[in-house]
Amino acid sequence: MDAMQLANSLPMWLACGTAVLLVVFQAVIFTKKAMDAAPKVGLTNDQVKRAMKSSALTSLGPSVVILSGMLSLLVSVGGPMAWMRLSFIGSVMFESIAAGIGTASAGVQLGVDEMTTFAFTMAVWTMILGSIGWIIVSTLTADKMEKVQNRMAGGNSALVGVISGAAMVGAFGGMVSQKLVAVDKSALSCVLGGVFMAILLYVSGKFKISWLKEWNLTIAILVAMIITALV
Amino acid sequence: MDKHYFTNDYLPKMHRIGKITGILGVFASFLPALVLGFGHGLWPDLALLATCFITVTTSFGFLWVIEPISYYPVLGPVGTYMAFLSGNISNMRVPCASIAQVSAGVELGSEQGSIISTIGMGVSIIINIIILSVGVIAGSSILAMLPPSVTAALNYLLPALFGALFVQFAVNQKKLAVIMLVFGCVVYIAINKGVFNFLPGASSYLGTLLCVFGSIFIAMAMKKMEGKKTE
Repeated sequence: MDAMQLANSLPMWLACGTAVLLVVFQAVIFTKKAMDAAPKVGLTNDQVKRAMKSSALTSLGPSVVILSGMLSLLVSVGGPMAWMRLSFIGSVMFESIAAGIGTASAGVQLGVDEMTTFAFTMAVWTMILGSIGWIIVSTLTADKMEKVQNRMAGGNSALVGVISGAAMVGAFGGMVSQKLVAVDKSALSCVLGGVFMAILLYVSGKFKISWLKEWNLTIAILVAMIITALV
Repeated sequence: MDKHYFTNDYLPKMHRIGKITGILGVFASFLPALVLGFGHGLWPDLALLATCFITVTTSFGFLWVIEPISYYPVLGPVGTYMAFLSGNISNMRVPCASIAQVSAGVELGSEQGSIISTIGMGVSIIINIIILSVGVIAGSSILAMLPPSVTAALNYLLPALFGALFVQFAVNQKKLAVIMLVFGCVVYIAINKGVFNFLPGASSYLGTLLCVFGSIFIAMAMKKMEGKKTE
C-alpha cells in the first residue's frame, strides 16, 4: 500500500478519532461538572454565559491559525494524524518538528521527498513518544502543584489571587517580550494589539458600553493584524 | 452554601477525572501506532527510534516538566489536566482561561475563577476541535480557497492576541506590568545572544519560566512592601 493511502485509511481514522473523542469527552465532563458547581460557589448564570461567550470568541482566531498549521501537516502525514495531533497534546510547532525528525531517520525529508510507509511509521512513533511526556508530568503533578501554591500563599487566600494575577502578567509579558525583541512585523502587530486594546478598554470603560467590552479583544486583534499585514 | 464544597467535594472529584482521562490519553496516543503495527506489520526500527527520541527529548523534554509548572498558577489544577491533554497551551488555552475570568468578573485564581476558567477552556477545546474537524474533512481545498494575503495576515494574529491580552491584565497592575515588560525583554535578548547556552535547550523554556516566576516573586515582594507601609 502507498504510504499516503495508508495514512488516510479507515483504521487510521478510527484510531485517531478515538483519541480526539477522549479530548472531547474530558472537556465535556469537566465543563459540565464546573457548571454544576458554579451556583454552589456563588456564580450567577449570567457570569457563566459571559465566560462561555468570550472564550468562544477568543478561540476562533487561534483555531484558524492552528487550522492552517494542520493543513500543512496534513499534506505530509495524512488527515488522521494531522487532525489527531493538533486536537491532542502538543502544538503546531512541536508536531511538525517531531514528524520531520521521525521521517529524516528513515532518509525521507518531510515535504520534499516522497513519503514511505516506514518513514511514516517512524514519524508516528516519534510524535507519540515525544508528546506523552507532557501528559504524564502534568497528570502526576497537578495535585502536588496545588499544595505548593497553597504553601507559597501561606494559607492566605488573597495572596493566591496576587500569585495568579502576577503569573498572567508574567506569562503574557514573556510572550510579548519574545515578539518585541525580534523587532519585525510580528513585534509591530503585538504593539498595535496592545495599543488598540488599551484604547478600547478606556472607551468601553469610560462610556460604559457593555457590548463593546465583549468585543474589545476581537476588534483589537483584527485591526492590529490587518494593519500589520497592509504595512 | 457549603463553605468547603470546593476543596472537599469538587476538587477531589475533578482530580480523579483528570488522572483517569490523563492515563487514558497516554494509551490513546499509541492507537495509530498499533494500527500500523498489528494491521500492517509496520513497526519502527528501535535503534533509529532511540535516536529520534533523544533528538526530540533534547529540544522538548524540558518543556514536559517546565510547562506544567510554569502554567499551573495561570491554569489551576483542573485547567492543567485539560490544557495538557488538548495541547496548544500558550496560543489558545491560556488566553481563553484568562479572558473567561475577566469577562465573568471573578477574582483570578479564586474558587470562582478556577470554575470559570474550566468552563472557558472547555468551550475553547470544543470549538478548536470542531474547526479542525471541519478543516480536515474539507482538506487542503480550504487552504487553496484562502487568498495568500489572508494566510500571510494570519501570521500576525497571535502576536496581536498576546499584546492585547497583556494590556488587559496590565491595566490593574501597571507597575508590575512595566517591570515585567523590561524584565522579559532583557531575558529574551539574553537568550537570543546565547547567554544561557550552557543550559541545554534553554531557548525553548527559560523565557516562560523566568517571566512567570519572576513576576510572582516581584508581585509578592511588592505586596509585602505595601503591607509594611500601611502598618
